[in-house]
Amino acid sequence: MPLIGALPQPITSAPLVILIYAVLVLMLASALASVLLRSTLFAIGAFAATMVLVALLYLTIAPFLLFAVQLLVFSTVSVALLVGLLRRTSGLESAQEPFSREWIVGAAVAASVLALLVLLVATTSWPVRATANAGAGLGATLINSYVIGLAVLVVILASAALGGGLLLAGPTLVAPRPRGPRR
Amino acid sequence: MNAGLNLILAASAALFAVGAFAVVARRSAVLMLIGTQFMFMAGSIAFVAFARFGLGAVNARAGVAVAIFAGATAVAELAVGLAMAALIYREHRSLAIDADRG
Repeated sequence: MPLIGALPQPITSAPLVILIYAVLVLMLASALASVLLRSTLFAIGAFAATMVLVALLYLTIAPFLLFAVQLLVFSTVSVALLVGLLRRTSGLESAQEPFSREWIVGAAVAASVLALLVLLVATTSWPVRATANAGAGLGATLINSYVIGLAVLVVILASAALGGGLLLAGPTLVAPRPRGPRR
Repeated sequence: MNAGLNLILAASAALFAVGAFAVVARRSAVLMLIGTQFMFMAGSIAFVAFARFGLGAVNARAGVAVAIFAGATAVAELAVGLAMAALIYREHRSLAIDADRG
């Protein structure tokens, strides 16, 4: 396929590059904090921060619509669902010991996955094509080319938002009845 | 110093590894679901990076659209997973997925 237009170039503007590096570092740090913290409430807070930082990353490299959807819809609904569940339960503290056998196995698996992916990224010469303007007409593309997917997406998100709302509004789960001997 | 495809893909890989760690190492259903969210987000970031810098740049809107659909799928998966976690809690008074081992 012949190349038309300019090839996509890396971002070289110094302030933008610094912003992207800062967002990526903070995103990974908050993601790590989210899975390592013992308090589930703090873990959910770190997860929310990660979602916001992903939205900021989208703001720098993707159309504004994706940033807005990530920030206002995905982040809000996800955190509402998690906080709703936490509100209905009392699982604030983890009973798991740090650096237990599961942690060692998990760290080994994660390190293997990371090494494989980084090796793949570093050794592959990714082909590039001519740049198209991603931002222009994204909404029109979603409506025209992906209308069924968009409709399904709206139903899914509405259902998830409804579930999150019900979880937040519902009472705390009652304790189960003690199981006595059957007569 | 610049920011290109490889940088974003490496960060995406690291986020995926963090999610894999949470799924494998943690016993809390909430933290495992957060891990799956990170893995979904890593995939979305890779799609957006390819749409911006690489393969998908001919039709960059498709990559962004896939990221939107992946995000919605992640939220739906979270909703179903949390409903299952609520059921586990109702039965065992714990969010640990191995609570029924006694």
